[in-house]
Amino acid sequence: MIGQQHMTGTEGPQLSLSPERPGYSTGDMLSGTFSVGTLELSEVKSVELSVLWYTEGKGDEDMAVHYFLRLDPASEAWQQLGQPQSFSTRLPNSPLSYEGLIVKVRWCVRLRVFMRRGRDAIEEVVFRLGDVPPAGAIP
Amino acid sequence: MARWLRLYEKKRGHRRTGSKQFASLGEALFFSVFLVAGAVFFAVMFANLVIPEWRANRHFAETPAVVDRVVIHETESRDGTITYRPDIYIHYSVGGHRYHTVTYNIQRETFTNREAALTGAHQFKFGEEYPCWYDPMDPSQAVLVRGYSGFIYVILLVPISFFVIGTGGLIYTLSHWGTSAERRAALARGATRLDPADPAVQRQRQFPAIPADANQTNSPGTTLAYRLPSAVAQGWSLFLALAAALAWNAIVAMFVVMVVQGHLRHEPDWGLTVFVSVFVLIGIGLLIFLARQWLVTTGIGATRLEISDHPLRPGKCYELLVAQAGRLAINSLEVQLACDERATYRQGTDTRTERRRVFQQQIYRRQGFEVQPGVPFEGRCPLEIPGAAMHSFKGDHNEINWKLIVRADVAGWPNFEREFPVVVYPPANGQTV
Repeated sequence: MIGQQHMTGTEGPQLSLSPERPGYSTGDMLSGTFSVGTLELSEVKSVELSVLWYTEGKGDEDMAVHYFLRLDPASEAWQQLGQPQSFSTRLPNSPLSYEGLIVKVRWCVRLRVFMRRGRDAIEEVVFRLGDVPPAGAIP
Repeated sequence: MARWLRLYEKKRGHRRTGSKQFASLGEALFFSVFLVAGAVFFAVMFANLVIPEWRANRHFAETPAVVDRVVIHETESRDGTITYRPDIYIHYSVGGHRYHTVTYNIQRETFTNREAALTGAHQFKFGEEYPCWYDPMDPSQAVLVRGYSGFIYVILLVPISFFVIGTGGLIYTLSHWGTSAERRAALARGATRLDPADPAVQRQRQFPAIPADANQTNSPGTTLAYRLPSAVAQGWSLFLALAAALAWNAIVAMFVVMVVQGHLRHEPDWGLTVFVSVFVLIGIGLLIFLARQWLVTTGIGATRLEISDHPLRPGKCYELLVAQAGRLAINSLEVQLACDERATYRQGTDTRTERRRVFQQQIYRRQGFEVQPGVPFEGRCPLEIPGAAMHSFKGDHNEINWKLIVRADVAGWPNFEREFPVVVYPPANGQTV
């Protein structure tokens, strides 16, 4: 997307799930930490953390946010954003992750850091909700 | 520039999604045009129509005037339409100064009907004195007829609606400019939860992105718990076939008449004849389809599906009853459980939908039997939802739809297929059985 970049390594924003696991059941608690890493807080306009699902495949993208947290300089936790901040949310009953033929449903935690200048930074961790096997084609 | 305002963004298969920035800019420009056009036209109409009329009624001063001449002025437009305008020549005095003018009302109203113009003009007789109202700021301006024209205020609704659409659209676009998709989605989710007491909202909170199943459970069955609704009401499909056949053939009939008249005059247009023949063939096809729908709807009788419970869960077993009414000799009747993926996407200005079947299983089949009038055939079978099944899913552009399909091969009748949507919920804790 315009003005965005995925940052990896230790320089950009940091996002991790704890404990790290590839799959979750509905109703599980999803926890993790996030921070702006080594980015200067004075250069950051705001930070958004979302737990969301989105579709991939043939159709236009559908997306819905299950958990959303926005921090800006007026927020209490703003000054601590250089250090890992914890978040947690209980995962919903649906939709489950799904690998279909033309419809795919994916879950992820997305950290979006809006910079005062230059590109926004995005860090994303994908996880599975449920264990629905991939769909197969019908002959 | 290209770095900050790309026309296209990420590639999706064979397509590219548009730039959100560029789309927002386009939206802003689009609504700005509406807003500016609405504001300009409103200002022009207000200044030239509303204010002069209001001043003529409220601010013009009365004085006696003498009619010098009464004329109906005719104007013919390019398309031959004639309009009629009453022109009343008068003279009057203001402050010792004598003024001559041609007037009627402030709008210098024109009529498309000569009688109406005459009626307006004949209120005034040559040489007689009538009250007129002149503009104190410009005494050379005067009117003989005052009043308010309702049509002006109706016409004003046009620029006002442009202005409102432009303003609303621009506020919406600007308020979303630079807002992340996640934030917009979070705001949208908050808006949909405004009425937590609503059962539909409660269900959506408990099972997000799963389609509502109220239609499947609002009709009790005669034998089992619920009677499932058909995906398309049979009456509706007949009505749509009828409407399509009538509309198409009515239009084609007009061209057929033109072609036949040409042939009768011995001036055949063979190009048009061939062109219309293709459309006639399509029309015949629509009539055949209509006849088939008519036979299926009225002759074959209703198909009824009842189920022991709903919504369905993966790994669970249910009881199903299929009933077929009518007077039929059925070669085969089968019920299938199927799951389709449905994706909708925009390609240019087109919206396209693609479907892909990802599960299909025959759960019931019966061959060679007859259905007697008043005694519907009834068959029962177990229905097991696969333990690893994906639940039903409904997004704005993507869906996963489960359905039961009744398919019949009927002797002497067209074969038919009827679909009954069902909703599959996810298994407990989301883990497949």
